[in-house]
Amino acid sequence: MSQAPIAVPSAGAAIRAIALNTFREAIRDRVLYLLLVFAVIVIGVSRLLSLLTVGSEEKIIKDVGLSAISLFGVLTAVFVGVSLVFKEIERRTVYTLLANPVRRWQFVTGKFVGLLVVLALNVVLMFLALAVVLWWHGDSAWPLFPAILLILVELTVVTAYALLFSSLTNPILAAVWTFAVYVSGHLAWSLPLLKLKLPEGPSRLLCEAIYWVVPHLDDLSIKSEVVHGLPLPPGQVGVAALYGISYAALVLALGCLVFERKDFL
Amino acid sequence: MSPPADASLPLRLIGLGKAFRGHLGIGRTVAVEGLDLEVGPGQVFGLLGPNGAGKTTTLKMILGLLRPDTGEVRLFGESPSSPLARARLGYLPENPYFYDYLTAEEFLDFYGRLRGIPAARRRETVAAALHRVGLASRRATPLRKFSKGMVQRLGLAQAIQHDPDLVILDEPMSGLDPIGRREVRELIVGLKRAGKTVFFSSHILQDAEMVCDRVAILDRGRLRAMGRLQDMIAESAPWFEVAVRGPLPEDHGAEVLSQEGHEHLLRVGDEDALARLIDAVRGRGSRVVGIWPRRETLEDLFLRQVGHTPSGSSAREVRS
Amino acid sequence: MRARRAVSALLVLACMATATVSGRKLESLAAGRDRSDRLLYLPNGRYLKLASLGQAPLLADLIYIWAIQFYSDYERKERFRYVRHVFGDVVTELDPHYIDAYWIGALILIVEAKDLEGGLALFEKGIAANPDSWILPYLAAWECALAGFPARAAQYFERAAAIDGAPTSVRRMRAAMFSRAGDLEASRAMWQEILADPGSDPTSRAIAERKMVEVSMQIELRDLRNAVARFRDDNGRPPRTLAELESRGYIARVPQGPDSTAYGYDPGTGEVHAPTARVLGGAQ
Repeated sequence: MSQAPIAVPSAGAAIRAIALNTFREAIRDRVLYLLLVFAVIVIGVSRLLSLLTVGSEEKIIKDVGLSAISLFGVLTAVFVGVSLVFKEIERRTVYTLLANPVRRWQFVTGKFVGLLVVLALNVVLMFLALAVVLWWHGDSAWPLFPAILLILVELTVVTAYALLFSSLTNPILAAVWTFAVYVSGHLAWSLPLLKLKLPEGPSRLLCEAIYWVVPHLDDLSIKSEVVHGLPLPPGQVGVAALYGISYAALVLALGCLVFERKDFL
Repeated sequence: MSPPADASLPLRLIGLGKAFRGHLGIGRTVAVEGLDLEVGPGQVFGLLGPNGAGKTTTLKMILGLLRPDTGEVRLFGESPSSPLARARLGYLPENPYFYDYLTAEEFLDFYGRLRGIPAARRRETVAAALHRVGLASRRATPLRKFSKGMVQRLGLAQAIQHDPDLVILDEPMSGLDPIGRREVRELIVGLKRAGKTVFFSSHILQDAEMVCDRVAILDRGRLRAMGRLQDMIAESAPWFEVAVRGPLPEDHGAEVLSQEGHEHLLRVGDEDALARLIDAVRGRGSRVVGIWPRRETLEDLFLRQVGHTPSGSSAREVRS
Repeated sequence: MRARRAVSALLVLACMATATVSGRKLESLAAGRDRSDRLLYLPNGRYLKLASLGQAPLLADLIYIWAIQFYSDYERKERFRYVRHVFGDVVTELDPHYIDAYWIGALILIVEAKDLEGGLALFEKGIAANPDSWILPYLAAWECALAGFPARAAQYFERAAAIDGAPTSVRRMRAAMFSRAGDLEASRAMWQEILADPGSDPTSRAIAERKMVEVSMQIELRDLRNAVARFRDDNGRPPRTLAELESRGYIARVPQGPDSTAYGYDPGTGEVHAPTARVLGGAQ
């Protein structure tokens, strides 16, 4: 019998390996062409603005830039995320992968980390493009940085959901569900107002329940404040980031659980 | 109470069962039922059966991809969910598919990491594995450019690169040409010589016959027969096929297999019957033009146990 | 075969022709309807905020840009319906800190719709939402002064000067404002000071730049009109072209006007027109 040592990778090594593979997959998937589209939009808009508007052009460039970074980030997170797990199951590459001594939760977490790194890279590149355009207009992009940070936190939440749904269903439905969560997350701020208009009883409870479950994505948005240079309450960015990251971790844990119990028919 | 863990036994299945629910929860198909199986160290074990017999389901349960409804799987005494168990095995699925955006090297390196092989040694194992399956020249080729045969070989490479004690192969010969099949057979034999245990499923009996020490025959989810291949085939005595030219004697006492004009093919059960037949033929004035001793093949065994060949042809069709 | 290809090509051509012809017909049918003011029926910004899914500032910008285009169309009838709604209830509800929306909307109301109270209401809304903005009360003060309400102008000046961060020039100008409301050169100098003041934020500086251009244009207009008047007195008739003023030495040089668009001149009546005596005209 063989005397080879029984080697099992550490959790960190396994996650790193899977994350690296996911990163490679996304990069080679030409999803990064979206970045080019972004750059074209921002530059195009900034050139057209002088023809179209009266008043501060920088404000509009910043608004367009931040919104585009946010939207493109969400699109990438959803469209890459929802097929991440599904493709592996569909093409059965997950069979050989799980024959290795890795745990299922490490697989899901590795995918999550890999996609996050891709998203972070995208966001940074887009931010740099925006900074260049703003610099050319004589303005600075640096004050926008806290908003960028919170955009990344928002993307973390969206990615966690995309992965969860990717383990549950096909990419189209998973995308629909993830977008549904995204929309609910941005409408969450209106739920307490709605609750007051509802009659006492189960409908109010339901409203309250939805409010607690859904991520409060609007609280993660400080775009208006940074663009207008308004002072932020101290620690707001920190608390918001903490909320977003811990929420995303919960959703990721749920995704790991779902994947753990899965039978690969 | 579950039996004590036995770390020296590469694979043990105890009362394994799995059923699938139909659409919307209606209906229930039993895939595997009451399966008991043991594979000892250094053996080559073939799990045989027609398509739909439950071989793939069994393999998935062995690997932890499916959870059994009843019974247990023990890999070196551990459950498949334990990474320690999976660390000692290598697996090649049927019709493997790998990440087409990676090169062969990157792919093996990735799996090497998942095996906990440290970076320095990984380079060697990757190179050695590629070399062993004849893909050394393609190490930097992206997998999307690989032919089916090359993918199969790469699959073998990832299954053995970490020197596992147990190698599990699902239909390893399917889709291969005769040269490819010979290569796989040689690989299996090579693994056995190195002291490894091999467990594979197949519906191609000829290849199994050539390499297996022990076989299990599975049909419709149940175990029909299991044991050492030689023992099972030897259970039936050898017989003889005799070619006779000319009219047959009346009471030749043999089974007529076929007839063409004046040529007959007869079957006798043992040497005494053979001697009687030769005398009778000579007495009639006809001639014995050929005598072939035959043993039961695995296919015959299969037919006997299951009632049809893996491809579905019945005994009647095979005989003609 | 060739017959099949010919038939396919013919079918494609037929589809193209049908699409083109019917498309044109559709266009002419729809031409009667003015669809651009469909967008005027925008719901209140508070409800739009729901639909914007976290991109409210961007939506505010888009509606603002559209509104600029809409209100730049001076041929449009009933232009000033909904100015208050679009700028006051939609854009600024979506983005309460959008300073440009407040003062551009107010200026449209004051200068073009001659609705001082409406404009001031918009200014007040902006001041309420942006208590740190000194430029809004400052601009309001100017408008009151130009409209002939010095007392109210003074109040606005007080408010502007009282805000932390207002450049020191604001305080000084307050006094000067009283006496020199009609003095264009002084106005230009005051805006120049704000532009040069390192304490000014970029928004205010941009506004100051705009204002300087406006006032420069008013100065040039005034000088041209004076020159035409003198020419008339001397020669008994208005000059045939503005260039004649230059060649006969009444002015040193024919001014180009902002954005290099020439001043309009009617030799029959002797009137000089500004090319862009309009709030939004400079956006061309």
